Amino acid sequence: MANLNVTLNRLSLQNPILVASGTFGYARETAAFIDFSKLGGIIPKTVTPQPRAGNPPPRTIETSCGMLNSIGLDNDGIDYFIEKHLDYLLSLDCPIIANVAGHNAEEFKQLAEKLNAFPQLAAVELNISCPNVSGGVDFATNPELTQQVVSTFRNACDLPVIAKLTPNVTNVVEIAQAAADAGADAVTLINTLLGMAIDWKKRKPILGNVVGGLSGPAIKPVALRIVWQVASTVDIPVIGVGGIQSLDDVLEFLVAGASAVQIGTASFYNPGLAARLADELSTVLDEQNCESVSDIVGTLVLPEK
Amino acid sequence: MTECHGLAGLVPTAVQTTGRVVEHEPMARDTMRLRIECPEIARQILPGQFFMVRDPRVTDPMLGRPFALLDTYDGPTGEPIGVEFGYIVVGKMTELMTTWRVGDECEIWGPLGNGFPVPKDFENLALVAGGIGQTPFLAVAKEALGHRSYGDPLRQLSNFPQSVSLSYGARSAEYLAGLNLFEIDGLDLEISTDDGSAGHRGFVTELLAARIAGESPPDAIYCCGPEPMMAAVARLAQEAGISCWLSLETPMACGFGICFSCVTRVRLDDGSWDYRRTCVEGPVFPAETLVL
Repeated sequence: MANLNVTLNRLSLQNPILVASGTFGYARETAAFIDFSKLGGIIPKTVTPQPRAGNPPPRTIETSCGMLNSIGLDNDGIDYFIEKHLDYLLSLDCPIIANVAGHNAEEFKQLAEKLNAFPQLAAVELNISCPNVSGGVDFATNPELTQQVVSTFRNACDLPVIAKLTPNVTNVVEIAQAAADAGADAVTLINTLLGMAIDWKKRKPILGNVVGGLSGPAIKPVALRIVWQVASTVDIPVIGVGGIQSLDDVLEFLVAGASAVQIGTASFYNPGLAARLADELSTVLDEQNCESVSDIVGTLVLPEK
Repeated sequence: MTECHGLAGLVPTAVQTTGRVVEHEPMARDTMRLRIECPEIARQILPGQFFMVRDPRVTDPMLGRPFALLDTYDGPTGEPIGVEFGYIVVGKMTELMTTWRVGDECEIWGPLGNGFPVPKDFENLALVAGGIGQTPFLAVAKEALGHRSYGDPLRQLSNFPQSVSLSYGARSAEYLAGLNLFEIDGLDLEISTDDGSAGHRGFVTELLAARIAGESPPDAIYCCGPEPMMAAVARLAQEAGISCWLSLETPMACGFGICFSCVTRVRLDDGSWDYRRTCVEGPVFPAETLVL
């Protein structure tokens, strides 16, 4: 049996199949559908320093092979998260990676200090790439801001740090390099692509927030391209996410250079999928004569020039 | 219903399973009734709960769609082995569903949501439905009239309402769906259509208003339909001091609380409001708690 363990700098996971933030609630909602112990990790919904009501509905709309969302980081704030959700999450037989967002470096520092009290957390993922909130949350469009936020967080928190980056930039590589330079243990690629849906008969946007983030199988080619670009040029482990809904999709991301993957939108329409993929991965690796996941990561062969 | 972390509609025993189409028949214009074999869901589902359904063969459409329980049906041993629901053809998913044939498989997860209150504390229960919003009320009426039981273990009512009525409004006669199904012993059925092609000409709220002004007014109202109609029903109930519950038809992406799409504005104790997920805190809410 192939060894499914993966190590991303200071973060070690029993297998490379995680569930993505914003598509798994706070885990208790999915308990009926999935065996948490089979997952490589759970990343609950983004938490901010203060409660946020989120954006007005409609918040999601299905598009061809995908969906747009403009949830707007609807959450009850870090204190409520620690008080009401964290005990439950940490009681699960699965590594928990908290996901946080702040408006500025100072807010990220506050979040870091609060989460530093919970060494049982496997890591913290910084959502510096949500397209649905205004006011500087989209740090990951700028390498200097990315570096500032990641290093601020690292200095205030001993947990492994993952930076979740946006595809809505000209060159993700320089942002990923900035995250690496600031000491991130890994980068997650990619958050949603900014998009829009229109009801032309009413002459109105469909989403309450006008624009939203595109996810689902429709964005997989973009995610693969960015994972490959970053993994082949920046010395930092990459966690791939974007449209994964089958074992073939998982393997495509691994071959492109991802050390681990996240299942996102597919959990909405196939709540048990991530655990099933984790179960099936070792069989395929055995068939490929891979002793460990790392034997297949980044094995893409490019055409000769 | 077991409450879980204050989320009345979070169902710890929900399952994701493969269902099989057993019957697929027209109910009215653009309206179909599907019967899906799925014993794990049928055994436990309660009136007013729902499930998500999708076609596992395609990713366009990709997401499941929520459908309210119309009724369960029994297998040869007398145990519930499947669910029925009605749907109106309005978009890509429901158009695809019209091509499903007997024997086809579908993905189904549920039961989901809180369902209507157990109808054991009311004398005169009024069910008010607009459009496809009538579908949850078949099982509600059957249970409230003592014709059928639901849930695992089977929910036995300690007390039954003296009367159960259904006021059902649609655009026109051709859209009235499943009237034959609602020919239930003891159910007082009234119809309205916008164009007068069947029953009362006008809105279903006018039927309810007359009932409230009548000799034995309802002491509880369960309502499902378009939001403006539900808001009007909620106003009538509030003016008359009658307890009223609304089942929301908010669009959902997942149905079980992880996407935060299906939010509705719920009043808080301090007079403000917050967005709450219809799927895991509803879909049935006391009318006075909603900001409609």
